[in-house]
Amino acid sequence: MAFHLNPDKLGALDAAAALVGDGAVVALGGGLSARLPMALVRELIRQGRRGLHVVGSAHGIDVDLLVAAGALGVCEESYVGFEQDLGLAPAYRRAAERGEIEVRESCCVTLVNQLRAAELGLPFLPVRGVKGSDIRRLHPEYGEVTCPFTGETLVAVPALEPDVTLLHAPLGDRRGNLHLEQPFVFDERFAHASRNVVATVDRTASTEEVAAAGITVPAHLVAAVAEVPYGAHPTSCYPGYAYDRPHLAEYVEAATAGGEALAAYVDRYVTGAPTEEAYRKLVGEDRLARLTRWSESTDAWKELFA
Amino acid sequence: MSFSIDEWFVVTLARTIHDREVVFHGFGSPCAQVAMHVARHTHARDMLLVEGATYAVNPDPPFIPPTGNDESLQRGSVYRMRIEELFDAAMRGDVDRMFLSGGQIDAVGNTNVTAIGPLDRPKVKLGGGGGGCNLAATIDHLTLWTTRHRSGRTLVEQCDFVTDMGHHTPEGSRSELGFTGGGPEWLVTELGVFDYGGDGRARLRQVFPDVSLADVEAATGFELEVGPDLRSVPLPSPAELAALRAVDPLGVRRLEFSPDELRRTFTHGEAAGCTC
Repeated sequence: MAFHLNPDKLGALDAAAALVGDGAVVALGGGLSARLPMALVRELIRQGRRGLHVVGSAHGIDVDLLVAAGALGVCEESYVGFEQDLGLAPAYRRAAERGEIEVRESCCVTLVNQLRAAELGLPFLPVRGVKGSDIRRLHPEYGEVTCPFTGETLVAVPALEPDVTLLHAPLGDRRGNLHLEQPFVFDERFAHASRNVVATVDRTASTEEVAAAGITVPAHLVAAVAEVPYGAHPTSCYPGYAYDRPHLAEYVEAATAGGEALAAYVDRYVTGAPTEEAYRKLVGEDRLARLTRWSESTDAWKELFA
Repeated sequence: MSFSIDEWFVVTLARTIHDREVVFHGFGSPCAQVAMHVARHTHARDMLLVEGATYAVNPDPPFIPPTGNDESLQRGSVYRMRIEELFDAAMRGDVDRMFLSGGQIDAVGNTNVTAIGPLDRPKVKLGGGGGGCNLAATIDHLTLWTTRHRSGRTLVEQCDFVTDMGHHTPEGSRSELGFTGGGPEWLVTELGVFDYGGDGRARLRQVFPDVSLADVEAATGFELEVGPDLRSVPLPSPAELAALRAVDPLGVRRLEFSPDELRRTFTHGEAAGCTC
């Protein structure tokens, strides 16, 4: 958690992703269909990363794609799926049912307190819930603590210090200052609790411009930053672009079929698109531009989701 | 005025909310999400609505999108909580109600959103519980819901895995475990409405008019207890239906229902007879 004082952290995506080692404990920023660090996820797959241990809140295509590509070993997210709209996460579900990945499903509230313990430099924090839930069976590392003041027995959860947090932000500067729009989900907590933050931004700007927009994650927490337009696609990164629901549906269909169909998706959009520039070309600049038109009118916005 | 089961169901969920309550739903729960907005636009105008996966306070979304984390769900809010701010409020007992569902819901309101079958090699790995296993401990009241009662697989005697605790588990009761929230208060299904008796077990209180007691019995995996004053689910008012249709023009609430259920339509006349 040592601060990162290098004044210029702007670099290429491949160099940023190289800071994530095989088997690393990786905190994934964003949540559900919003601001997932997809360019970094795709780059980690291109680089053949293995055995990643992901932690976080409610996620979707980021985790599922890592599973599909064989990059994931342990999943400690609180949820992986595509909500009521597109349903269960196909690759994650299949791998869990076959015992190919280790599922240590967690609870968002527990995770927040584990991150806070790391931020505070404490070995643990107590939580009042968890008892009575079988989630506890998935976490033999939890303990119990008796309050010295009230005598109450509480579940003690250990500090969680991820090796690296992967974030995508709409705006950032060369030093690594990042501006995010709400909801921040766990991104602030991750940034403070992790050893390193590796970020992509849709656009780099002057420090003055980022400061005027509001700095959510300060430069001293960030180890590396790369500029990747549409780096959260197919998830959203407001105020820039809405999520690409048809693309998510295309992924879910391929992942549900599995086998060659899923391999074809990974080959086409990830390993077969050697750079994010190639990825954007494949998706189509027109299609990406359409996702930015959410702000033109409520009808235009609704149409993206219909 | 005619309406469909998804509309009546959502209005019934909305009616479990009291005015001046602090209410939260998670993600992947369009029916509960729409219900909160219906309540806030009808009988619970001073509730504090904390929006699903954006944590915006009292937003007025132009529409409900098919994802719980979208900018549209923050529109009109003048304050947006951080996720940990909502969690902290819940843990210290300042949140009055939360909506919870599950792939399995047992007789005492335990819910399973983790896995069907043995945990090491599940038959179905479900999505997971978000923040539920702590939030269910301290939030005052829980409204449970499912739109899959008729499947016969959802209401079970015992969950394969307890993600979020109801009234008790083999580990003990809520008070024995030091939980400060009251646990499940209502269970709303596409067949009817249950509350919970003194023993913590679900008790059928209302049924939809096109559903027989035998239908409910056949679909329920635990021994069906019926309240002494069983009646039909109260009809949705035109104001409630109008609020619902205004807030959910995309019809995301319908994502939770099977196509067969969605054919159930009703009218206000003729004692709310089923027109299907």
